[in-house]
Amino acid sequence: MVRGGVFVVALMALPLLGFEHWVLNLMIFTLMYAAMSSAWNLVGGFAGYPSLGHAAFFGLGAYFVGIWFQHHDVVTGYEPFVILPLAGLIAAVVGFPIAWVAMRTRADVFAIVTITLLFVAQTLAFNLDSLTGGAQGLAMPTPPFELARFEWPFYYAMLWLLLTSMALTYLSMRSKVGLSLDAIRADEDKALGVGVHVQGVKVLAFSVSVALVAMAGGVWAYYETFTYPQFAFDPIITIGMVLMCFLGGRGTLWGPVIGAFILVPGQQYLAYRLGGSQFYLIAYAGVFLLIMLLMPRGILPTIADRLRRRRAIASSSGPPPSSDVPPPSSGAGTNVPVPSGGAA
Amino acid sequence: MSSGNRLRGIATIAITSAAVLLLTSACAGTASNSTSSSAGTGSSAPSPSTTAPLLIGASVSLTGDFADSGKAVKAGYELWADEVNKKGGILGRQVEMKIVDDTSSPTQVVTNYQNLITQDKVDLVFGPFSSLLTIPASQVVKRYGYAFLEPAGGGPKVFAQKLDNLFFVQPAPVVKSGDVFADWVLSLPKADQPKTAAYAELDDPFSAPIAENIRARFEAAGIQTVYKQVYPAETRDLSPIMTKVAAANPDVLVSGTQSEDAYSQVKSLVQLKFSPKFMYMSNGANSPVEFPSKVGANNVNGIMSAADWYPGSPAPTSPAFVAAYTAKYGGSETDIDPSSAEAYSCGQLVEAVAAKTGKIDNATVISSLHQGTWPTLVGNLSWDAIGQPTGSFSLIQWIDQKLVPVYPAEVSKATPVYPKPNWGG
Amino acid sequence: MTGSVHALIQGVVLGILTGGVYALMASGQTLIFGIMKVVNLAQGALVVLAAYLSYTLFTSFGLDPLLTIPLTTVIMFGLGVVIQLVFLRPLKREDSAQLSLLVTFAVALLLEGFMSVVWKTTYRSTNTDYANSSWTLLGIQFTVVRVIAFVLSLIALGLLFLLLNRTKFGRAVRATVQNPMSAELLGVESKRVAALGFGLGAATAAAAGSVYGLLYPFNSGSHYDLISELLSIVVLGGLGSVGGAVIAALIVSTSSAVVATVFSPTWSSFTFFVILILVLVLRPQGLYGTVERGAL
Repeated sequence: MVRGGVFVVALMALPLLGFEHWVLNLMIFTLMYAAMSSAWNLVGGFAGYPSLGHAAFFGLGAYFVGIWFQHHDVVTGYEPFVILPLAGLIAAVVGFPIAWVAMRTRADVFAIVTITLLFVAQTLAFNLDSLTGGAQGLAMPTPPFELARFEWPFYYAMLWLLLTSMALTYLSMRSKVGLSLDAIRADEDKALGVGVHVQGVKVLAFSVSVALVAMAGGVWAYYETFTYPQFAFDPIITIGMVLMCFLGGRGTLWGPVIGAFILVPGQQYLAYRLGGSQFYLIAYAGVFLLIMLLMPRGILPTIADRLRRRRAIASSSGPPPSSDVPPPSSGAGTNVPVPSGGAA
Repeated sequence: MSSGNRLRGIATIAITSAAVLLLTSACAGTASNSTSSSAGTGSSAPSPSTTAPLLIGASVSLTGDFADSGKAVKAGYELWADEVNKKGGILGRQVEMKIVDDTSSPTQVVTNYQNLITQDKVDLVFGPFSSLLTIPASQVVKRYGYAFLEPAGGGPKVFAQKLDNLFFVQPAPVVKSGDVFADWVLSLPKADQPKTAAYAELDDPFSAPIAENIRARFEAAGIQTVYKQVYPAETRDLSPIMTKVAAANPDVLVSGTQSEDAYSQVKSLVQLKFSPKFMYMSNGANSPVEFPSKVGANNVNGIMSAADWYPGSPAPTSPAFVAAYTAKYGGSETDIDPSSAEAYSCGQLVEAVAAKTGKIDNATVISSLHQGTWPTLVGNLSWDAIGQPTGSFSLIQWIDQKLVPVYPAEVSKATPVYPKPNWGG
Repeated sequence: MTGSVHALIQGVVLGILTGGVYALMASGQTLIFGIMKVVNLAQGALVVLAAYLSYTLFTSFGLDPLLTIPLTTVIMFGLGVVIQLVFLRPLKREDSAQLSLLVTFAVALLLEGFMSVVWKTTYRSTNTDYANSSWTLLGIQFTVVRVIAFVLSLIALGLLFLLLNRTKFGRAVRATVQNPMSAELLGVESKRVAALGFGLGAATAAAAGSVYGLLYPFNSGSHYDLISELLSIVVLGGLGSVGGAVIAALIVSTSSAVVATVFSPTWSSFTFFVILILVLVLRPQGLYGTVERGAL
């Protein structure tokens, strides 16, 4: 807990340390993906429903903020941030019925529905051009922040989103909701039989998750100052979120954050320094596949397992009979918290 | 509980080390930039010693959707850098281009210009490919007070930003490229002018606005719109639309197209055996090698398009450009993508400002280019306060299976042919 | 005939002709699902890869794409088997449901990346000399390539049908689809069937891809649109039912073409999605899918 706190304080203090703008720029995107990955984790990691269309809500948030400021003014520059919770709320409201219908089916069909959803959203953004500007794109007012601290509001906004997401994850892990999600992920029919409010919990997780992602989209739109349908509703965004969550460890608190902190700087570094290389999509996909084949549960749980096994071997006279049996990971093979009530 | 603690410990260590890695690379990055010596942020180019290289940064799409044009832009920038260095550089300083890939992504392009300006500390920047990427990039560049010479962002929304540091390096805003066609049509004797028009427009920031601009002018002149359809970018099958065009039997077809859809439109019309008397395509038809190969060489005659640079262009610096280009990259004049010429022109402007003022900092570039006319490969350029060039494109037409400028008179090499010959003729 | 009736008929004809190709692609996808319970998100990418292969054979060696179909089919079959062996078989049984989805997604990205490196991102299309010709019958235009595509798809589907119903392998496949455990008990090697089944799914993509390249311009990114359309089709037809996929393909393709021709092309891609949502709300198992316990 203390070490987590140190991390948080370090992040909060970062802009004050006088780094160059490009570092803050990089951190903004890192924090954005960390927040989104952590939010995705609620649905894909904890509930076990792999959503491949979260970018639809990212775009929804981006366009909501964009459209809002077609009709309202930006004076202090902070208005777009103030409006964020409203964007989140709208996303949750939109996500609710979608989750209700889509989560009645099993995981594969859910994935199909979410992919389709992404393209529906993109098509709508293109076609409803009197509202969204269509293919011409939508402009945001230019943020009036002074140059020296330009990135700060965006940085803190993304940091706030990340902390909120992590706080919600942590709270749910320690509550009935978390246990319900675990039960659902393990075996949904049994969970239903045992009396878990399966539908309600799933839909709740989905709504919260998409609300966070939409808010990230809103901040992004303001930072970019311009939004196009194919970039706001881009499958690459979902891919990034999912990959980072997998890399770090689904169903854990810190997993998505680790995944983001490794992948975002890594990808931007590669794209900028090596540049012109068309291999980066191959690299993304390759990393994804390697993780799923070699470390399907992600970095954190795999390291934790190894350590646990070593300690178990060290502390008993011989290899314990259960050392090869992974902790009760079932159905989706994610990290079910050991009875101690939650790995942080 | 101890395994939980241990796990938290690992997590914190992992994240802290990632963070440390990040910070060290940040410090390393700041320290490692070897060229310009300034350490300030948020200022214009620092005043260097007179022999330090002039570092010019640009983010270009080398992968992703815009890759082909992006590479042509890069070719243009680098060719110019070579040529100017042979002549002694700019104000005695050798030019170094720092070109990075934005993977056709607006997120990456923002990062790239941030990096170029605050990490690599470039002296000047050139623009990326396409309005989509130019717009977010221009905001970043504006913040730092740099001049933004950009060869490929000419859609209406670029100028709606009202930036005084932006200069679109083409003869006119993209939306006006159809103006020259409208000019010519409306200059014809009344009896020869088309009476009805159809519009088939691709939904993107350039193609549709060009066609719409022509439509506004035609309708004001009394040419009746008998059909108009905007289609989304991923439309693969244009035959339903072309069927309706043919059914409406317009005198003139105005197509707001890029490349693939231009080819599809023509192929459909050939299959439908419908040939309008006048036909204009905003893009695709201006590609000297691709167009005839995709639609059939005997189908191209009579189709019109617009161009700023084309093989045989009358710009005084064009022959030298062509010679240098073919020497460096091979091929022939007809293989040269106009994007390379536009990119090269950005460099020519920098050369010209340096020659005229003896200085090459961003403020000077900005104030100089807002006055007077500057000769480049793509014409003599001048700009208004928000970066819109005030010239016009040239109308080109396929005559005898070659692209020839036909209007206005000062660039015309042949009389425009009308009505358009039938397919296969 | 009047304009709008004409447009409607033209749309229907277009839809049916194109539906053949979609049926072929979808049949492979639904077959893979039936055998392995894996939604193959890489099916679209396999089709595009096949399109590139036939394009290259055409532009480099002058071989007509229709003639090279046997060759590409064999190549893609092999690739499918390899993909299954390398990426899908290692997944442990409990993980396979969720992970295999993501694995096939990652394979799709891998293929996309590979294709963009080898062939760059310019749009290609296989332009044979008959690519522009068309016949007109009763005022309705029939493009030669579409008719050929349709006939070819029928032939390929016919072959698939024969394979599934008249060969030992086909029987093994059908048994595995119906009830994997009983099939194993009866001596069917499910692992082998899985690998070969995936190969078969990829092979159908090969035939479809050759035709696809004749009809439409494509590049490495085209698989996204394709896969969302294919998913709608297989869900409508019922996951696992080849016959269902064929009928669904015709329905979806025709509706989409009619919307494009009669109303507006901007909404035609929407048709796929609307159909998908309707199916999921009204009849989640699709037209011919089975209602399994704990399934849709």
